[in-house]
Amino acid sequence: MKIILLVLAIAIVPTLLYAQSGYIEVTAPGNRQLKLAVDSPRSLDATATPEIAKLVSELIANDMNMSGTVTAESRLQRPDGNLLSLVDVDFVPWLSAGFDLLVRGEYNFKGEQLTIEFRLFDVISRKLITSMRYLGTAKDVRRFSHSFADEILRVITGEKGAFTTKIAYVSIQTGNKEIYAMDWDGNNPLPLTKNGAINLNPDFSPDGREIIFTSYKRGNPDLYRRSLSNTAEVALSNRTGLNITGNWSPDGSKIALALSKDGDAEIYTIDKDGSHPVRLTVNPALDLYPAWSPDGKRLAFVSDRLGKPQIFIMNADGGDVRRLTTSGNYNVNPRWSPKGDKIAYSRMSDGGFNIFTVATDGSLDTQITVDGNNENPSWSADGRFICFSSKRSSGNGIYVMRADGSGQTRVTEGKGTYYQPVWSAR
Amino acid sequence: MKKSMVALLTGVSMAALLAGGCANKDVVKKEEAIVPTVAAEKVEPAKPVDTAEQARLAEQAALAEKARLAAEQAEQARLAAAKSKPAQNEVMGTNAPQGGNSAVAENKFETIYFDFDKSDLRQDARDVLSKNAEAILKSSAGAKVQIEGHCDERGSAEYNLALGERRAMSVQKYLTTLSVKAENLSVISYGKEKPAVVGSDEAAWAKNRRAEFVITK
Repeated sequence: MKIILLVLAIAIVPTLLYAQSGYIEVTAPGNRQLKLAVDSPRSLDATATPEIAKLVSELIANDMNMSGTVTAESRLQRPDGNLLSLVDVDFVPWLSAGFDLLVRGEYNFKGEQLTIEFRLFDVISRKLITSMRYLGTAKDVRRFSHSFADEILRVITGEKGAFTTKIAYVSIQTGNKEIYAMDWDGNNPLPLTKNGAINLNPDFSPDGREIIFTSYKRGNPDLYRRSLSNTAEVALSNRTGLNITGNWSPDGSKIALALSKDGDAEIYTIDKDGSHPVRLTVNPALDLYPAWSPDGKRLAFVSDRLGKPQIFIMNADGGDVRRLTTSGNYNVNPRWSPKGDKIAYSRMSDGGFNIFTVATDGSLDTQITVDGNNENPSWSADGRFICFSSKRSSGNGIYVMRADGSGQTRVTEGKGTYYQPVWSAR
Repeated sequence: MKKSMVALLTGVSMAALLAGGCANKDVVKKEEAIVPTVAAEKVEPAKPVDTAEQARLAEQAALAEKARLAAEQAEQARLAAAKSKPAQNEVMGTNAPQGGNSAVAENKFETIYFDFDKSDLRQDARDVLSKNAEAILKSSAGAKVQIEGHCDERGSAEYNLALGERRAMSVQKYLTTLSVKAENLSVISYGKEKPAVVGSDEAAWAKNRRAEFVITK
């Protein structure tokens, strides 16, 4: 695993076919959305694997459509003898079909080893915008495709995508609440816990390689930590009472969580090895669900100190507490956006939950879901998307939407009930 | 009538426990403990008792226990290492079928119920707690009792974990005012993770907002 990552790190250096300072402004005439064609990559050897080519183009198109920045279509490859020519693309058919952008690529297997190369062209100006080359095996194909979608977003918006990230979540498909992780689009679901007890509230380390979660596997709701690639679980906090709603600090050094060892649920920070608990709230009310600001200087949290659960913000040392949400009488599940400007949360009214976003000064409080019961929002690393759990008539599961509530898409398959999704950092 | 009912329910529960692999040592203590408490809940005078339903519940618990056994194989070594748990199993495993020993024989703890989003004790809950306190005090060995706080399905899972604990703690506090020693009481919250009954109406919610009592020693 580590070796592969190393290889990737070397391989994911963009081939500098084109200068890439800053980003290239690509705008369509008028207000029309840019159209992107994703041509299936061609095989450079005799052993073509059309299913891989098809998958690759569909993945890139799906990512780009989800981003909302372009309208993307995956296209079956056109017969074209001029395989190795990088610049002599015949743009005319793409132009006449109304496309502004074109992704093309080649792939090649040497035994197990896959080499795949993508290029993004501006169809109008007939220029190569960016290209990337990847080395790996067939099982890396999804990752490579998501990575190139990240790169496309970078060059057309200035902000890299986060499609190579993962979502961890709780599912009850075995009959118990167990923790899983999957690609952002629902693929590669991987069971992480299999202990048969109640497992809750996963959260990723900032490097995305580890998770923390609460489990009743030894009786008490304790906080555990484990890596995604190794099943060993370490009890990080097994203090008397609740050890719940852990949230890893952006620099990875600390974990904020709710402990009730001193009589009622209060917010603490502990070091990432579980030591040095520091109590931040002192209040007979319930204080829980801390959420770090991206600069690590503040925490949002839930407290019912005014009667009903509301969201508050305090400094990371517990000082300067102020109420964030002022409307609605049941506001929970705060999560700070990666840019730091907004907090997503869920509000219960009339027995059902919906996702809201609010600016950190309490303004711009906006409901962004309406359909069904929607809880536990979590931001993608680029701040473009929010994932959440939903129970709705069109299907229960983990959903992903853009940060304004548009493009709501169910990414989990199957009918089970899903809870508490959390999006990994990049 | 009531006595025979209790005997019947206890019998059913025990059968379920045995079928569920109670003989296996070192396995998830808490699930076993649930069955007797369910029985205890059912004898509450105000609640109609349905033996068929009871048997079904017990059977479900037993099945869940079985599934759990398999899943927990890997955890067994660790569980065995934890000192208190094997001891608990001994007590439960041997006492329950015999029904002879002090604490368990007197396990007539009734479940108490709460209002929505509340942890203060209603009058009916206080009456029940007086009886429960008496039962604990009467047990010669000094029974250790865990108070489980539970919530209905409404509200967030996380907030309900804290609320369930607050319920259990308010029960603990009240019991200590009735001379029960604090060191004989412990609390745990399951939030809304372990509903007593499934359902999304007030009848189900009312039964799920509760504190149960489990003898741990």
